Amino acid sequence: MIIEATNVSRVFSMPAGPVTAVRDITLSIAPGEHLAIKGPSGCGKSTLLHMLGCVDTPSSGTLLFDGRDVSTLRDRARSLLRLNQIGFVFQRFFLLPMLTAAENIELPQSEAGVNKDVRHARTRELLDYVGLGARADHRPSQLSGGEMQRVAIARALANRPRLLLADEPTGELDQTTGEQIASLLDRVNADGTALVIVTHDPGLADRCRRILTMKDGRIESETHPVGRALPASPKPSGEGGSGPPGASR
Amino acid sequence: MRQPARATLGILGVAAVGALLFDMLLLSQGLVISMRNLLEQSGFDIRVTATDSLPQGGPMIDNASSAARAIAALPSVSAALTIRFASARIERAGKTPVRSSLQGVGLSDTRPWTILRGNDLQRGRELLINENAARMLDVTPGASVTVRASCSGDSEALPPVEFRVAGVAAFPFDTPDAATAATSAASLGEACGGQEPDAADVIMVAAKDDPVIAAGDISQLRPDLRAFTNDESVGRLEQGGFTYFRQISTVLTTVTVSFALLLITVLLTVSVNQRLGEIAALRALGFTRMRVVSDVLAESILIVGIGGALSLPLGVALAAGLDRILKRMPQIPENLHFFVFEPQALGVHITLLALTAFVAALYPMRIVARLPIAATLRDEVIS
Repeated sequence: MIIEATNVSRVFSMPAGPVTAVRDITLSIAPGEHLAIKGPSGCGKSTLLHMLGCVDTPSSGTLLFDGRDVSTLRDRARSLLRLNQIGFVFQRFFLLPMLTAAENIELPQSEAGVNKDVRHARTRELLDYVGLGARADHRPSQLSGGEMQRVAIARALANRPRLLLADEPTGELDQTTGEQIASLLDRVNADGTALVIVTHDPGLADRCRRILTMKDGRIESETHPVGRALPASPKPSGEGGSGPPGASR
Repeated sequence: MRQPARATLGILGVAAVGALLFDMLLLSQGLVISMRNLLEQSGFDIRVTATDSLPQGGPMIDNASSAARAIAALPSVSAALTIRFASARIERAGKTPVRSSLQGVGLSDTRPWTILRGNDLQRGRELLINENAARMLDVTPGASVTVRASCSGDSEALPPVEFRVAGVAAFPFDTPDAATAATSAASLGEACGGQEPDAADVIMVAAKDDPVIAAGDISQLRPDLRAFTNDESVGRLEQGGFTYFRQISTVLTTVTVSFALLLITVLLTVSVNQRLGEIAALRALGFTRMRVVSDVLAESILIVGIGGALSLPLGVALAAGLDRILKRMPQIPENLHFFVFEPQALGVHITLLALTAFVAALYPMRIVARLPIAATLRDEVIS
C-alpha cells in the first residue's frame, strides 16, 4: 500500500468552536489505484486529499505513507516525501507566471537536485506526453486554461511520483477541455501512477475504478463501477504517443 | 520578473534612499577628513599657539622668531614658521581698493602656500596675493601696490606702504571670494608701524617623523605655549561646529534607513501576499520551508542590491550638488568639502543596506514560513 489511513479525523479550531472536517475515515490506496472522492461542497474531500498528500496532518488517527507515520515526520521530511513521491494538480493550476511551461516543469526536478541534462530531457518528454511539445517556451499567460492544466500535470509528474493527487482538476475548464484533461489523467493512471481525484463532477468521478462518496466528513459509500472499461485515451494534439513518463520509480 | 513596474519602482526607491544614505555617510566624516587634508596640505604637522584658543582667537606669541628658531632646532622638528595675521586694504591706482587678510611669515624654507605665477617671497617689501586679489586689482607679478594694514584690531591710521607683487599663490584656507596676501614678518611689521614687531599668532611646525613626539618636545621646550598636532586640531574642531553636521547626518541616516526598511518590507509583504496560493502550491509540490523563505530573502537582496548599486553614482552626483550649495555659506574655505568619499563610508553603506535587506525581509519571511499549506490552498480556491 502507498497510503493506509486508519480512523483519521481532522478538526479545525474556529472562533465559534471546533469544526470537524473529516471524521474517522479508514482508507487504503494501493499502487496504480484510480480513485475518485466526490461529495457536496464542504463535505471534507479536499481536507482528506490534503492529508493524503501530507500537506496536512490528522488531528487523530494514523496515516501511513509507505508504512511511515506521516504525523511523526518533521516538516522537511514531509516536504521531501511530497517532492519525490507525490504529485499535486490544483484547480487553479498555480503555475509560476514568470516562468515558461518548460521552466515550470523543471522546477520540482531542480528542487530535487536532478542534473540539468536529465532535467531538460525529462521536461521535453513530459511536454510531449501532455501534448505541449511546441509550447515549451510559452509563459502561462500565453496558454489556454486546458494547456495550463496540462503543464501543471506535467509538473506534478516531473519527479515520477507514485501518487498523483488532483483537486478539482477540471473545475476551471469548459466541458470539452475538462474531458481532455480527464483523458490525460486516465492515461497517467494507466501508465502506472496511482491517481486520487477530488471532484464535484460525476462524469469525471465515473471514469475511476473506485469512487468514495463523502458527506459531513465521513465516507458515505464506496462504489466500484463494474465492467467499466478504461476510457479511450485520445492523444492530445502534438503528442507523439511516447512511453509512460508518468510511471513511478 | 513578476511585476516589472513594481519591482522597478522598488529598486528606484531603494536607489533614491540609498543615495541619500550614502551622502549622509559622506557628510558624517566629510568635513573632518577634508579639514585634515587641508591642514596636511599646508606642509605642517603642528600648530603652536600662546593659549588653547585657535590662531587669531587668542593672545599672540611674543618673541616669536626666537621661539621658532628654538623649536626648529629640536631633533624631532624639521622646520618652524611664524605667522602673524592682520587685515589690510590694498590699493592700486585706478582700481577699487581691496580688503584683504594679510599674513606675515617668518624665515623658513617651508611655506604654507603654492606659487601659481611669479616668484615666492625673497627680499624687501614683496607681496604674494591670491587669484582673487590679482583679479580685483588687475595686477601681475612685478606690479606695485599700496598696503594700508590694520594690525591690532583697533581703529588705526597706519601709513601706507608700497609693496612689489612677487607672485600669485594659492592659500589652502582661502574662501572663494577672499582676497589674501602674504609678506615677510619684517615687512608686515613695517606695515604695522612697528607694533609688536616680533609677535606671531601661530608657529607652524613640520615634524621630522612622528608629529606627536615633536609636539611633546615642543611642550617640554616651551611649557608656556600650546602645541597641537593636525589630528588634535581636527579633534578640537570636531567637538565644535563639526558636531552639528555629524548629528544631522546621524539623524538623517536613521531616517533614510528606516524609510528603506519600510519601503522594502511593504513591497515584499505585498508581493508575498499576492502569491500565497503559488507559495502554498510550491510547498505542496515539495519545496521546503527553508527554500520558499530563502526565495523571499533573495528577492529582498536583489531589490536592495540593484537599488544599492544605482544609489552610488546617484549619491555621488547628489553629494556634488549639495556640496556646492553648502559651500555658499560664508567663511568656508574653497578647498574644504562637506562630502568626502572614503572607503569606510562605502563599507558602512553596503553593511547598512545588507542589514536593511535582511531586516526588511523578516516579516514577509515569517508570513511564508508560517503559511498553512492546506488552508491557503483551500482559501485560494474559495476566493
